[in-house]
This record gives sequence, C-alpha cells and structure tokens, in this order.
Amino acid sequence: MSRRVLVIEDQEDNRRIVRDLLTSADYEVIEAETGEAGVAMAETARPGLILMDIQLPGIDGYEATRRIKANPALHHIPIIVITSYALSGDDVKAFDAGCDDYLAKPYDPFALLAKIRERLP
Amino acid sequence: MNRPAGRRLFGKYVVVLLLLVGGVLLLSSALDLYFSYQETKAALVRIEREQAVAAAARIEQFVQDIERQVRWTTQAAFDDPVAAQEQREIDYLRLLRNIPAIAEISHLDASGKERLRVSRLGLDAIGSQEDHSRAPKFLEARAGKTYFSPVYFRNESEPYMTVAVPAGEYGVEVTVAEVTLKAIWDVVSRIRIGQAGYAYVVDSLGRLVAHPDISLVLQKRDLSALPQVRAARGRRPAGGEEDVGMIAAGLQGGRFLTAHAPIAPLGWLVFVEQPLGEAFAPLQASIVRSIILFALGLALSVLASVLLARRMVAPIRTLQAGAARIGAGDLTHRIQVRTGDELETLGDEFNRTAARLQESYAGLEQKVEARTRELTDALEQLKALADVSRAVGSTLDLETVLDTIVARAVELSATSSGVIYEYDEATGAFHLKGSHRLEEEVVEVLRATPILLGEGAVGKAVAARAPIQVADILDEREYDVARIRAIFERLGYRSVLAVPLLLEQRIMGGLVVWRQAPGRFAPEVVNLVQTLAAQSVLAIHNARLFREIEDKGRQLESASKHKSQFLANMSHELRTPLNAILGYTKLITNNIYGEVPGKIRDVLGRVDQSGRHLLSLINDVLDVSKIEAGQLVLSLGEYSMKEVVHTVATAVEALAAEKKLSLKIMAAPDLPRGRGDERRLTQAVLNLVSNAIKFTDVGEVTVQATASDGSFLVSVSDTGPGISPADQQRIFEEFQQVDSSSTRKKGGTGLGLSIARRIVELHGGRMWVDSAPGEGSTFSFTLPVRVERREAR
Ligand SMILES: Nc1ncnc2c1ncn2[C@@H]1O[C@H](COP(=O)(O)OP(=O)(O)O)[C@@H](O)[C@H]1O
Ligand SMILES: [Mg+2]
Repeated sequence: MSRRVLVIEDQEDNRRIVRDLLTSADYEVIEAETGEAGVAMAETARPGLILMDIQLPGIDGYEATRRIKANPALHHIPIIVITSYALSGDDVKAFDAGCDDYLAKPYDPFALLAKIRERLP
Repeated sequence: MNRPAGRRLFGKYVVVLLLLVGGVLLLSSALDLYFSYQETKAALVRIEREQAVAAAARIEQFVQDIERQVRWTTQAAFDDPVAAQEQREIDYLRLLRNIPAIAEISHLDASGKERLRVSRLGLDAIGSQEDHSRAPKFLEARAGKTYFSPVYFRNESEPYMTVAVPAGEYGVEVTVAEVTLKAIWDVVSRIRIGQAGYAYVVDSLGRLVAHPDISLVLQKRDLSALPQVRAARGRRPAGGEEDVGMIAAGLQGGRFLTAHAPIAPLGWLVFVEQPLGEAFAPLQASIVRSIILFALGLALSVLASVLLARRMVAPIRTLQAGAARIGAGDLTHRIQVRTGDELETLGDEFNRTAARLQESYAGLEQKVEARTRELTDALEQLKALADVSRAVGSTLDLETVLDTIVARAVELSATSSGVIYEYDEATGAFHLKGSHRLEEEVVEVLRATPILLGEGAVGKAVAARAPIQVADILDEREYDVARIRAIFERLGYRSVLAVPLLLEQRIMGGLVVWRQAPGRFAPEVVNLVQTLAAQSVLAIHNARLFREIEDKGRQLESASKHKSQFLANMSHELRTPLNAILGYTKLITNNIYGEVPGKIRDVLGRVDQSGRHLLSLINDVLDVSKIEAGQLVLSLGEYSMKEVVHTVATAVEALAAEKKLSLKIMAAPDLPRGRGDERRLTQAVLNLVSNAIKFTDVGEVTVQATASDGSFLVSVSDTGPGISPADQQRIFEEFQQVDSSSTRKKGGTGLGLSIARRIVELHGGRMWVDSAPGEGSTFSFTLPVRVERREAR
C-alpha cells in the first residue's frame, strides 16, 4: 500500500505543518488547495489516506468527501476529516458525509500522526 | 301589637256602641224586672190578704153566730126557778140540736155553781153544784164580757174552745158553751193558693190553732218566734191593714210569701202563705223572657254596633289606606269616600294634594328625563371616546383605528358619512385612510385625485389650522372642488365639516363629515369631531412611531445577528493562525526540524502555553457569543460520565502537579451510561476543575460523580479561599469575577462559569456553589442521565 497521504487544505501553514510532520514520519505527502482539486487528485494519485479540511473555497470538505466516497474506485481510501471547532454538529455531518475518522481543530500534530498510523501504518 | 289604626278604631267604636246600647238595655231590663217583681209581689200579697181577710171574716162570723145563739138562749127569764130551769133545759137541747158546733152547754149560777149541763159528750147533769167560781170563764162572763178560752183538745185530736157569756135577768149568772172548732179547721183547710199555698191560724199567744196539717196543731206549736207572726202581733195594736205581706220562712222551712188578717174578737191571726218559687213562677217566666229579650237585644246591638262601627270606620280606613298609598308614592291613587261629611272633605283634600304632588313630580320627572338623556348622550360620547382610545391603544393597525374613529364621528355627530385623510408632507396631498358610509364612487374619486393643501374644506381647514364648515356645498363660492361637488349634488350631500389633524403645528391629516341637510353644524358637534380628530392624530402618530420602532428593532436584530456572525468568523480567523503557531511549536519541540537547544525549548514551552491560553480565551468568547445568539446547540450522543471525569483529570493533572495539589477523582463504580453532549459536558467539568486548581494554592481538589433517580450529581470541591455569599450569585454571570487582588492576579475572563452553567442548563440540569470565605468551595451540578432533544434556550 502506498504511504502517500493527500492533504486537502487551503491554509498554507496547516499544509506545511502536516507536510513536515508526515515527511518526518516517512509518508509521502501530496497537497490540494480546493475540494475540486482534491477530488481530482484523489482519482489520479490514488493516495493511501486523505486528510480533509472542512472549510474550503469552492465545494466544502463534506461535499468533497461525499464525492470521493461516491466513487467506487476511491471508496476504500480512508478519509480523516479535520473539523472546525467553530461550528457544532460538524462531527455528525462529517460522519454523515462518509468519513472514517475526524479530528477537531486545534489538534495536537502527534495525535493526528497517531490516527494516520492507525489507518496507514 | 301592630294592629292597623282602623282595627283599633273599629274596636273602640264597637265597645262604645255596645256599652251604650247594651247598658241601656240592661238597665231597662233590670228596672222592668224590679218593677214587675214589686207589682207581682204586691198583687200576690193582695190576693193572699184577701183570702186571709175572707177566712178571718168567716171565722169571726162563726164565732159571733155561736155567741149570739148562746146569748139569745140565756135571754129567757122566769121567776120560778124550776120553770126557768126546765125552760133552760129545753132551750139548751134545742140549741144543741140546731147548732152542731156546740158540744156542751152549761149554766152556772151567780155563785159559780153549775146548775145545769146539757152535753153531747157526756151525761147531762142537773144541779151538780160544781164550783166554777174561780175559773176565768165565770169571772170574765160575770164581769159582763164574752169569754173565749184558749183552744184545747178532746180525744187528743178534736179542738175545742170554751165560750162563756153572762146570763140571767141581772146578768149575774153565766152560760158556758163548749164549741168544737172543726168548722174553723174546715175553713182554714179549704183555703188554697196555687198548688202549695195554704192558710193557718194562730191564737193571741202565737200558738198554732189551725193548720191543714193537723199534727202540727196537736203539737201546739208556738209560732210566736216566726218573723211574720211576730210582725203581725206587733202591728196589731196599730190596726194597720195595708202592707201586711212579707217574705219569710215557712213553718217547715223554705221561703214563703205571706200575708195575714186578724180575727178581731178572738185576737187570732189568719196567715196565708205561698212558697216563693210558686208565687213568683209567673215572674220567673217573665225574667226568662226578659233575659231572652236582653240577650236578643244585646245580639242585635252587637250586630248594630259592628255594622255602625264598620260604617263609621270604613271611610276612615279608606282614607288611611289611600293616604298610605299616596304617601308611599302612588300619586295616581284617588281616595273614594262618599260619606257626604267631613271625611269626604278630608279625602278630597288628600286627592287634591296628591294631584298637586303628581303635577310637580311630572315636571320633575320631565326634567330628570331630559337630564338623563343629556347624561346618556354624554356617556355615549365618552364610551365612543373610550372605544376610540382603546382602539388607538390596542391596535397598531392604523386603518382599523381610523375606520373606528370616522365611524364614531359620523354616528355621534349624526351626519351621513365621513372620511379621514393622512397628509403626505412630500406631495402636499391628502390620502384617504378611512371612511364610513361613504359611497364607493366618492372614495374612488378621492383616491384617484387626492385633495391638495388649500383645496376643498379639508385643505382649507388644515391651511387655517381650524375647523371649517360649508353650510351649502352647492354654493360655488363656498365649495370650490368642482369634481366632487357634482357627485355630492347627485348624492344629496349639502353641508360639510372639516377638522384639521395637527400634531403641535405639524399637519397630520384631516377628519371630514358630510350631512344631507344644508346649514351650520352645532358647536357641540364641532367640538366632538375635534376631540375625535385629536385621537386620530394620536393614532397616526403612534402608528408612525411604531413603524419606526419596528424598523429599529429589525435593524437591531440583524445587527445582533451580524455581531454573533462576526464573532464566530472572527474567532475562526483568529484561531487559524493560532493553530499554525501551536502546530509549528509542537513540531519544533518534537525535533522535527532538528535538535532544539534547551534554552529555545524553554521559550517554546512558554509560546505553547500562551498560545493555548489565547486559544481558550477565543473559545470562551466564541461560546458566549453563541449562547447570546442562541446558537449553542447540543449534539446529543451516548457517553460515560466516568470517562468525562477522567478526561478532565488527565487534562489538568499536570497543572495540579505543578501547584503540588492533590487531585482526587471519585466516580461511583455503577454510573449509568449517559446521553448528552459529551464534549460540552467535558468542557463544563473542565471549567469547574480548572477554576478549583487555579484558585487553590494549598490542599486538594476533589471531583465526585454519583447517580441517583435518573440524575448525575457532579461536584468539584477545593480547599481554596472560598467565596462570599454576595459573590456566589455574581460569579455565574458573564464577565463577573470576585473583585479581589488575589483572584484578579490569576487572570481569566469571567466567562468559564457562565458557560459551564449554561451547558448544564441546556441539558436540563442545575448548577450551584456551596462556599464560605476561608472554607473552600464546592461547585456542583445535577444532570438528567438521559437527555432527549431540547429546544435551545
Ligand atoms: N473554586 C473557586 N474558588 C474561588 N473562587 C472561584 C472559584 N471558581 C470561580 N471563582 C471565582 O469566580 C470567578 C468567575 O470564574 P469564571 O467564570 O470561571 O471566570 P475566570 O475563571 O475566567 O475568572 C473567578 O474569577 C473567581 O473569582
Ligand atoms: Mg475559569
């Protein structure tokens, strides 16, 4: 299985933190800044895991998750949703959209790493 | 007690009349009775006396006859004593033969010696020489008087009497005759008065001599003690013949009416007596008759009295009842008394007074009625005004209010129709806002071409800022809006009253009423319409104010929404870079970017701490703004209270250890699984525990969780400074902290408790604190174990 992780996140800093964390842990990191780009990249790059931010320009994280999960070819790829603390009920929406796990901001990078290792050792 | 006067009067009349008539009747009856008694008595006595006199006369006759016969026999005188003796004997025999009453006759010579005796009773004796010279019969007869002896009895039952008369030529001899008194008895016995009346005879000594009952006579009754005998004997010397009747006891008791007559030569008395009962029997009948008559008379007089009294009282009663009715206020009542006397005059007087009163009352009533009408009108106006006021106060729907006002204005001013306009300052036109009974075509015309300021009655009234009236619309000089005049002419409207609606000097509109008769409006109507106009002004003003307030409210509402949205966005925006800071710091301290020297690591620790603090502040602010915006929504799910408590413990362990405080967790082993918002509950418990650790310098912090009756009870106790009762209320409010330097130093926003409390309340629980200064604090909350969806409050 590929140790490739797709990070869909519009915030440069957040992307970089995840990238630095995951590369130091020997994961290959590919990145997308919008939901549409992320869905497209998931089809082309076939990552082993996807980290999905909820607040995105264009389609939001829920929609993007739904689209990926709707694709039988991508269905199996675990998606960890990073929800915003700002709005309650995010977690329910995330699971409704079909994600496999979720994490609320602000998260401990190493807690995230632990969740990724669970799904993609 | 409380009998009507008429009854009392009636009673008095009856009594007086009865006394009068009854008294007279009684008196006359009594007198009648008395006199008839006296008369009857006198008559009876007279009869008795006649009988007595008759009897006395017969007895006297009998005695005198015998005396005469005896005297006559002794008249013969012979010189020869022998011849004389023989002659005498012959005479005596003849006498005995002729007069049966003489039982024995004897001759005494001058010396009182018996010479001859001829007898039916015994043997005849000649020359017996019996000496009678000392006997009263001899002595009295020798003295020349006729001697009557007391009665004596022979054979025990036959009464006899001795009669002696002088005899012989010289009257010195005496003839003695023994006379049987049976004849007298017969006379007496035969006397009968009524059934039980009888007669009797007493001698000069008062002894009974003759009586129908022989036994009484034989007893030689001495009757001298009987009052009638005593009276008769006492009176005899006077010789009075009159009034010899009296009432006395009879011989054998009983009461008798008695009369008597004397028998002169013997000195005897004849009594005739009759028992009173019998004597007065006729009187008794007359008494009974009198009593019956009296009773009858009395009954009649009672009847008459009652009738009379009624006749007298009836008109008085009528008067009284009539006066009472009139007095009670029935002035139409008239007293009917037709007695033709003073009572009738009195009744008429009453009637006249009642009539006068009635007249003056009628006048008064009319006045009262008129006044009542005025008051009713005024009241109606007041009610209408109250109606209008209520409409103005209660409904802010301007059209409804104005319709009500126009309707009341038309009704109260008795006009045909009316309208109300609102003035539009921008265009200077009057817009029709409400109408009452105004024809649709007029309304259409008014809506289509609004009247302008200075035009028509309303335009002029507003321009003049005073009511304007047009007495005749058809007069062109007075009413200048031709297009409306034409319609009005057709509809029959003739006069109009327009009142301006002014708020201070600002034009608000106008109130107009139309009438189908020409002429000026009464000042009251103008006043009334003006009052209603003032109400309309208020209504329009209120409605405008309300519109403004509504706008403002809407603006405020959206502003508040914007604020919450802004805060939400803001905190998100704040958090994003903060997350980056915290993330990088974490990576650096974890040597992702290479080995970090100790000093930098130290500083990075401070960066991390400050960053986290800032994050919690941002989160709190966000929560509070959500609570204010009502956007804090629970996401309900299954949770374990035990886990919640341990999560919190794990989170604060380091802090407690740092302050050298012991942290005790006491979760009951059998805590049920809960349903609620786990993250929010964790937040609430965390707020309490972190406060406890923050404000406690020495000692311990205990977290306890139990469950009973479907509720969790969670409490967090510390050995901190405690909280005064006054502060205990405040600290649960937003941004409130205990105002002391020691707590201020600890930092914080004053939001933690209010958020925690709100979270618990959203779950349907309750949070409170038990504390006293210096005693530490215990914050507790209860919570339903299973929370179903609740409306956010
Ligand atoms: N355990 C406690 N002991 C003493 N005082 C307390 C305790 N908990 C809260 N307080 C008082 O209540 C105030 C409000 O607390 P809170 O709402 O959590 O705000 P903050 O902690 O930010 O000051 C605190 O500032 C403090 O004065
Ligand atoms: Mg606090």
